[in-house]
Amino acid sequence: MAGSGAGFVPPSTADFNLPPIIGNNAYSTKPVFLVLLSVLVISAFFIAASRKALVVPSKLQFAGESIYAFVRNDIGEEIIGHEFMRFVPFLFTLFTFILTNNVFGIVPFLQFPSMSHVSFPYVLAVFSFVIFHAVGVKKQGLGKYLKGIAFMPGVPKAVYILLTPIEIATFFLVRPLTLSLRLFANMFAGHLLLLVFIMGGDHLIRGVIGLKLIAPFAFAFGIGMTFFEFMVQCLQAYIFTLLTALFIAGALSDEH
Amino acid sequence: MATGGEEGALWSIMGYLLSGLIIWGGIGAAVDHWLGTHFFLLIGLLLGGGASMYLVWLRFGRK
Repeated sequence: MAGSGAGFVPPSTADFNLPPIIGNNAYSTKPVFLVLLSVLVISAFFIAASRKALVVPSKLQFAGESIYAFVRNDIGEEIIGHEFMRFVPFLFTLFTFILTNNVFGIVPFLQFPSMSHVSFPYVLAVFSFVIFHAVGVKKQGLGKYLKGIAFMPGVPKAVYILLTPIEIATFFLVRPLTLSLRLFANMFAGHLLLLVFIMGGDHLIRGVIGLKLIAPFAFAFGIGMTFFEFMVQCLQAYIFTLLTALFIAGALSDEH
Repeated sequence: MATGGEEGALWSIMGYLLSGLIIWGGIGAAVDHWLGTHFFLLIGLLLGGGASMYLVWLRFGRK
């Protein structure tokens, strides 16, 4: 980074701490408004898509129905089985909410994935956690459900000392943590990656002529990475919903 | 898990392997800290890794 006067300041976690928008109100930051905006966007889209439901659907209706059918059939029915309809509203809300908030990361002018603030994924994981355990307790009864988690049938009693802590940790600690941290880390790292290429390109283009020549490559990479990010954003929304469905399916099945 | 297929098994297996290492590795590290030794962490990690693989076999390999 020789040549230009001021040194390059690489993007850091500080870039995620955005200042309050309204006065000093700590709750009026950009991610909060993005989450509210996402609710409006999702509501407006699906109300518009379903208001004039026709047998031969319009493009908008087709788009809305495709997303719904994807969540209902490919996630709900495929994973949960015959009781899936009860959980489709939750799964559908989860999927569209996460997807919209993730894609905000590459929408021009918004350009911030709300899920890169870890508290949002935490709350979503708490929802999943409470729901899949509640489903299991309701279906099997508290004692039987907990016994099914902690004690694998058909194992010598002494082995339980080894296995039971792992089972309990998996169901009550690792599952919600991995669920939320996977989403958070992907969005955080993705945003950071875009910042590196775009801010780096911006810095290069202000440099000496040799650096100016490199700058287009940095921007080109930034644009390429934006498409890559779009893929990651969709994938993470899908995985979060898929895993929630899997946990619910596991709680419903009597097998363990 | 009755439903979910192989994709479901994949994610559950990852969870088990992870928590095996965390729990028994964590217990090993705690014992090390308590006794001032250094080898219990390794024992814990090996034990946890082995136990979680056994658990995976019990859940998904045994039919």
